[in-house]
Amino acid sequence: MVNLKINGREVSVDADPATPLLWAIRDEIGLTGTKFGCGIGMCGACTVHVGGQATRSCITMLGDVEGTEITTIEGLDADDNHPVQEAWRNLRVPQCGYCQSGQIMQAAALLTDIPDPSDDDIDAVMTGNLCRCMTYPRIRSAVREAASANRGQTQNG
Amino acid sequence: MFKQICLGILAVGAIGAAGFGVYAYKPAISPVTAADHASFPPEQVEQGRVLVGAGYCATCHTAKGGEPYAGNYAMETGFGTIYATNLTPDMETGIGAYSKDAFRRAMHEGVARDGSHLFPAFPYDHFTKMSDDDIDAIYAFIMSEVKPVRTTQKENELPFPLNVRFLQAGWKMLFVDFGEYETDPDKSAEWNRGAYLAEGVTHCGACHTPRNALGAEDADQKFAGAEIDRWQAPALTAANASAVPWNAAEFREYLVKGSTKYHGIAAGPMGPVVHAGVRELPDSDLTAISIYLADQVGADDSDPADSQIVQASLERNAPDRRYRQAEGERLYTTACAACHYNSQQINAGRPDLGINSSVNQNDPSNLIQVILYGVNSHQGTEGVVMPGFRDALSDDQITSIAAYLRADRAEQAPWEGLRGSVTELRARGPGTH
Amino acid sequence: MAKNKIMSRLGGAGKATALSRRGFLISMTAAGVAFGFPRSSYAAMDPQAADGVPITAVGDAFEPTMWYWIDTEGRVNVNIIRAEMGQHVGTAIARILADELEVSWDDVRITHVDTDEKWGTMVTGGSWSIWQSWPVYRQAGAAGCTALIEAAATQWGVDASTCTARDGTVTDGTNSITYAELVKAGISRSFTEDELAALPLKPHSELRLVGKDVTALDIANKTNGKAIYGLDAKIDGMVYGVPLMPPTRLGSQVLSIDDSGAKDVKGYLQTLTLDDPSGTVPGWVVVLGETLMAAKWASQQINVEWNAGETAGVSEADIQAKSRELIADASTGAILPTETPDTTQAFKDAADTLEAEYSTATVLHFQMEPLNATVFQNADGVWEIHSGNQWQSLILPTLSAALEEAPDKIIMRSYMLGGGFGRRLNGDYTIPAALASKQLGGKPVKLVFMREDDVQFDSVRSPSVQKLRMAFDGDKQVIGMEHHAAAGWPTGVMAPSFLPKGVNDQPYDVFAIDGADHWYSVGAHQVRAIENELANQTFRPGWLRSVGPGWTNFAVESFMDEAAAKIGVDPLEFRLNHLIAEGYNAGTVPDSVGGASRQAAVLERVAKMSGYGTADLPADTAIGIATTFGQSRQMPTWTAGAVQVHVDRETGTVEVQKMWLAFDCGTVVDPDGARAQCEGAALWGLSMALYEGTEFEDGNVRDLNLGGYTPLRMIDTPEMEIEFIDSTEVPVGLGEPGTTVIAPAIANAIQSAVGVRLRHLPMRPDDVLAALKA
Repeated sequence: MVNLKINGREVSVDADPATPLLWAIRDEIGLTGTKFGCGIGMCGACTVHVGGQATRSCITMLGDVEGTEITTIEGLDADDNHPVQEAWRNLRVPQCGYCQSGQIMQAAALLTDIPDPSDDDIDAVMTGNLCRCMTYPRIRSAVREAASANRGQTQNG
Repeated sequence: MFKQICLGILAVGAIGAAGFGVYAYKPAISPVTAADHASFPPEQVEQGRVLVGAGYCATCHTAKGGEPYAGNYAMETGFGTIYATNLTPDMETGIGAYSKDAFRRAMHEGVARDGSHLFPAFPYDHFTKMSDDDIDAIYAFIMSEVKPVRTTQKENELPFPLNVRFLQAGWKMLFVDFGEYETDPDKSAEWNRGAYLAEGVTHCGACHTPRNALGAEDADQKFAGAEIDRWQAPALTAANASAVPWNAAEFREYLVKGSTKYHGIAAGPMGPVVHAGVRELPDSDLTAISIYLADQVGADDSDPADSQIVQASLERNAPDRRYRQAEGERLYTTACAACHYNSQQINAGRPDLGINSSVNQNDPSNLIQVILYGVNSHQGTEGVVMPGFRDALSDDQITSIAAYLRADRAEQAPWEGLRGSVTELRARGPGTH
Repeated sequence: MAKNKIMSRLGGAGKATALSRRGFLISMTAAGVAFGFPRSSYAAMDPQAADGVPITAVGDAFEPTMWYWIDTEGRVNVNIIRAEMGQHVGTAIARILADELEVSWDDVRITHVDTDEKWGTMVTGGSWSIWQSWPVYRQAGAAGCTALIEAAATQWGVDASTCTARDGTVTDGTNSITYAELVKAGISRSFTEDELAALPLKPHSELRLVGKDVTALDIANKTNGKAIYGLDAKIDGMVYGVPLMPPTRLGSQVLSIDDSGAKDVKGYLQTLTLDDPSGTVPGWVVVLGETLMAAKWASQQINVEWNAGETAGVSEADIQAKSRELIADASTGAILPTETPDTTQAFKDAADTLEAEYSTATVLHFQMEPLNATVFQNADGVWEIHSGNQWQSLILPTLSAALEEAPDKIIMRSYMLGGGFGRRLNGDYTIPAALASKQLGGKPVKLVFMREDDVQFDSVRSPSVQKLRMAFDGDKQVIGMEHHAAAGWPTGVMAPSFLPKGVNDQPYDVFAIDGADHWYSVGAHQVRAIENELANQTFRPGWLRSVGPGWTNFAVESFMDEAAAKIGVDPLEFRLNHLIAEGYNAGTVPDSVGGASRQAAVLERVAKMSGYGTADLPADTAIGIATTFGQSRQMPTWTAGAVQVHVDRETGTVEVQKMWLAFDCGTVVDPDGARAQCEGAALWGLSMALYEGTEFEDGNVRDLNLGGYTPLRMIDTPEMEIEFIDSTEVPVGLGEPGTTVIAPAIANAIQSAVGVRLRHLPMRPDDVLAALKA
């Protein structure tokens, strides 16, 4: 039994501690917004926050997150209105949408660490997240927009 | 190796059997009963709780999945496996029958209540430096707060003659400098407090000082760094290979949080040292240890943020569109940079690998260990994890990432035998820490 | 033309006819709950709803056609038979309908329907969706609007011609009544097919939704984790399965299975050797577990011995060698019905000729959501297939064969697709899930492909080899051209009965040759499509974002630059000189009206946008151009691209600095959606040009995951500028055309920048270095 807190809720997961956190979240806890992409931590679709840090859940073992606080896309904001989510909607980033939970979680963590990222910063951090619809130009713009929103600036176009 | 040990024992023999017998003989101390541990002052118990943490006693006295302090933790000593004893106050299988004096003797001299010699896997060579007052506090804590657990002690797996406890006395005679810590009048009170703790209860040297052929710390190489459980305990001297010198502030941050911006995290065997324990010490003590250790390293107090080395490493973070040219850089860019990238400054949650100790050390073990097995929530920064890549990356891929970090980010000479180390550490599996 | 007939059977060219025959058997009576299947479980049907469950009608809904209903609250539910995989296709189609129906966009909902015979061909591919839906949904909307206006006029005793409808309300200037009220009152109206065909459609100038900005209905749920994909399917009592795949895609046999090592894995259930009457997955073994990881861990402890199929040793080089051998043999392949396919005389008369060979490596789909399917037999005895899919009509007969059940006993439920790109046109991945469930007596089985399985089982874009030739007369004028292309044929393998025949009566796969039959006037023009049987046996060739045009245009547009260079003309001028809207290249109403002149126009536009030929660029830096007609002559999306690159002579790295694209796709239905499709397609094109590609080794692709397969990422994404030509012509597809121009534009730019010509995709730094050294 592994105890953790997910989206503010205490849960005990009765699964093999070697189970990837991704599958514990999806199949045991039942939150399917976090996606499976490559299974080797190189596409970012499975990104969640563990202790506030963006973490690839597909290669993180359940047993290793004992006692942590985890946030998934479902818990990023109570009203789904995190500045990153807003920017994603405003700029209509998603196409198929499958990678976007991971992109959004990664972007939210990026802005926590680097609140005013340059294009280089965005490239460096977001390159770990693959998008086969190739929504990269919009992701880049949306991260900038969310950063502006965070700074309380008005954004023109 | 075994031959050397036998020679050592012969040397002991040469001292003279009779005299040795006198030296080695220790009488049993009468057992006490549960009623004798009746009550201890709460302040003393609290002092004991802190010291038990600082000595991270639970780490070696708790078996995997077992009851706290109930022993049977397997220690791979290099000479064979020793199973830690039951430290709970159980009357028959624990130390419940130990009187205060018996406990003092165990801590100071490495002798069990029944008079038998304890193996030096138990670091009495450090605890001997502790004051009676501190030892009594630990005694008070164990006897009053630790739940007695009845256990069956596992037999040590040591070859003859190493399994002969009586002969341990010879080892002591050769290698242990018994006696409480002596204040160095040339140093500050804080320094001395730090030295008392670091050389005594926190027994830093047990891992950070190389051992000789007979498993004793080599006094001439104090804190020179050593291997432990296929991790590298870095040097705590000027020889420390970190890009940024370990100053007192860095040591302090490390001991408080389990990680520092400019060096890295407490993982592997160091994980529980911080998390299961040392952090229990009061601020003033952690500061004292940090001052003492920084003096061993010889670091000044400048802020690493301003250091040229840090700025240069930050510059090497800049993404390069030619990242596909070399496999190591490509894999780093796609699998590692999302978490490890830093921009204008190093972020506490983003270990910068160019200056990370694991990349700058002369031995790649720590880096490989972390890449393979990750960092769980009880290592490094509490509540934050790094996934292990053992099922995600091949040996070749891990080798290429490590080589890239070493050459291009730390700008250090290549590690020899890197590929072999990766294979070996994978085959060995995750450690017990 | 043969191709027309074939496309219509594919659900392609037929457009209005294919859909309208079913769609307009209108019974304009008040319907009950017009839509709905017995749903024992959830499928993501309304991408706007948090739980994916579509709205149900309040009161007796008015269902003028099967494509939509209006309920007594005035809400309009539009049925979408296309798969949602990022194109926001439901939004675009619903807006086409809502525009003619004259309802407020706020009242519109969409439902991605499950399979039913009544929907006709269900396919989402070929960039066809908007082109095909346009006439159908416009007429459907117009019919409803007409009926509602007539109902209001009758109520008021006025002439219907005095009434107008807007935002769900009919008015005659004095009275007004909402659609909701009209539906509540009950409507009865029927049209003959002739009446339907005669229904007036709004002039372009009066379109209120089409061409206007909108946020697609599926977007919000794709930012909060609520969108439901196939992998999210959950059925009570389901077990998990993972495949153990045979060493070859075809022809392997299981000799023995030893699962003794798996018995200790907690949650391991059993191992099935699939018995497949459909022949889709020969030699397959599926390991079942209570959890996915139990199945996975167990599978790692199971030893299977196979008798491998014949292709166990096949390499990429073998496949390409076979293509070269086939090309060299003039008797192979099909000659396409171009205007003058006989080039013998032209080459006999030629004063000079040019010849070049182009090749492309195997490309993976690597759609983000690995393949998966959940299958069970429900209480009604119906087999439910829960999975994202692009071509339900193609796989249903195969499912029927595999399950040995009548097609009406099988239903495919709709989910969002975590990427399609053509992979899910081939529904082969549903078969092993169906067989596993069948072997368990209909118990729910969720089969999940781990990424490595997904890749090994991919219907890859076939490697290709092409030989192009051009004949010039003594005045350096082009008098003839040949294009010989050999590759694996997706349609040849998956749907061989759909292949049209060439002028030599040989069948050909349009998806493996489209693009070669270009709109340049080059005199005699022979296009020969050759099927590589070795490729077809080794893997299931796939339709991958633009398919053939992804490689044919690389060849054609590289070759145009080479030809221009040969006769000393600027590549832009050379192209414009040959894009003449005459004869065969004049175009036909309505889909290709304007012909080659529209292609010339986009090319000129992109040249202007990019500053091609005028920009002052640093050393080793150049702009290259290319132009195509998107997917096919029949549905041309006029496309042009320019790419500026800098080549690092030391490392061979090609730095893509900027890309410009211009499109003429007729009427733009959803402007932002259109732009998004073009951005994505262009970057796919870039990815396939420089970064992604693998090779067959020992019968399977070498790179099974991202450790070795290296598609474009954020860091590789250049600045882009995209423009659309204003047009009121028929809307054509945009999902794929952007991919087609990038590779040749880059190859042309590299040649301009550093003087080397690369003729193989992907163009890796090592290839650039090798060419520079040569």
